[in-house]
Amino acid sequence: MSGLTDLGTLEKQAFRRFYEDGIFDLFLGLMLGTMALGAFATEWSGSETTGLLVMIGVSLVLVVVSMTVRRRLLSARLGEFKPGSIRRRRISFVRFALLGSVVAGVILFGLAAAADVSIGSLEVLMPLVWFVNAVAVFGAMAYFLDVPRFYLHGFLFGSAMPLLVWPDVLWDYRLQPWVAFGVPAAIITAFGVFKLVRFLRDYPVLSTPEPIDV
Amino acid sequence: MSRHQAPVGVDRLIHEPARLAIMTNLFVVESANATYLLRQTGLTWGNLGSHLAKLEEAGYVTITKGFKGKQPQTTVALTLQGRTALVGYREQLLATLAPVVGS
Repeated sequence: MSGLTDLGTLEKQAFRRFYEDGIFDLFLGLMLGTMALGAFATEWSGSETTGLLVMIGVSLVLVVVSMTVRRRLLSARLGEFKPGSIRRRRISFVRFALLGSVVAGVILFGLAAAADVSIGSLEVLMPLVWFVNAVAVFGAMAYFLDVPRFYLHGFLFGSAMPLLVWPDVLWDYRLQPWVAFGVPAAIITAFGVFKLVRFLRDYPVLSTPEPIDV
Repeated sequence: MSRHQAPVGVDRLIHEPARLAIMTNLFVVESANATYLLRQTGLTWGNLGSHLAKLEEAGYVTITKGFKGKQPQTTVALTLQGRTALVGYREQLLATLAPVVGS
């Protein structure tokens, strides 16, 4: 039997365990990789619409697959629970932050376009907004979900756009999109693979399934 | 006091380590299924079932049996009585150990 600890730590450990499967890391890494794929598709086809369609299509597949796999993996190996009221509030806050970041991004981009901001200043500003946004949102996830590695993911996710744009603007040196997006994506994905392998090893499917008369 | 005797005034039903583990794990969530409890406590299905039955009999937990697809799914939640009992158990234990803690 597991050693007993204080209730706050117990809840935190139990909840955190549900993020030890690495699927979210894989999803995040592959989403970033999808942006690299989109950029590659744009260059290959010469059409931004094609690149955008590839990105949206692959992203949708990723969302569905990762949600399905995650649910099945966790349910069979760790069981299911409904969080308490404090944890539910924290999860709601994270969802609100995620939604808020998307809405804020769209509004900011719309305002910048409407105000006819020069492309030069947009090129400097937008990667900064992207970076701050990613660090803030993933930081909120790390803090409120008690999963510290999301701080690192926020930094890696946020660094993709500055890596793509700033060297070009500042030093006239253009990194290929698949490098700017692909390197952080590869690091996050590698994290995910490592976590997934460890999770599968540490939490095998129960040798005796749940009996009817527990 | 014999080795297996609970301190005077302490709820003996909760004082048993396996049941205490079940109660504390349920205290921090709204509800959980049996697989979750099995993982969290490290008990066997048989042990878990017998301890849950005792807790249910005392009115500390509610057990809802159902199916998820073809798999049986047992959902367990702490009742208000169970929550109050665990808080009371903590108070009782602290009061009992107060001289030791204070020394």
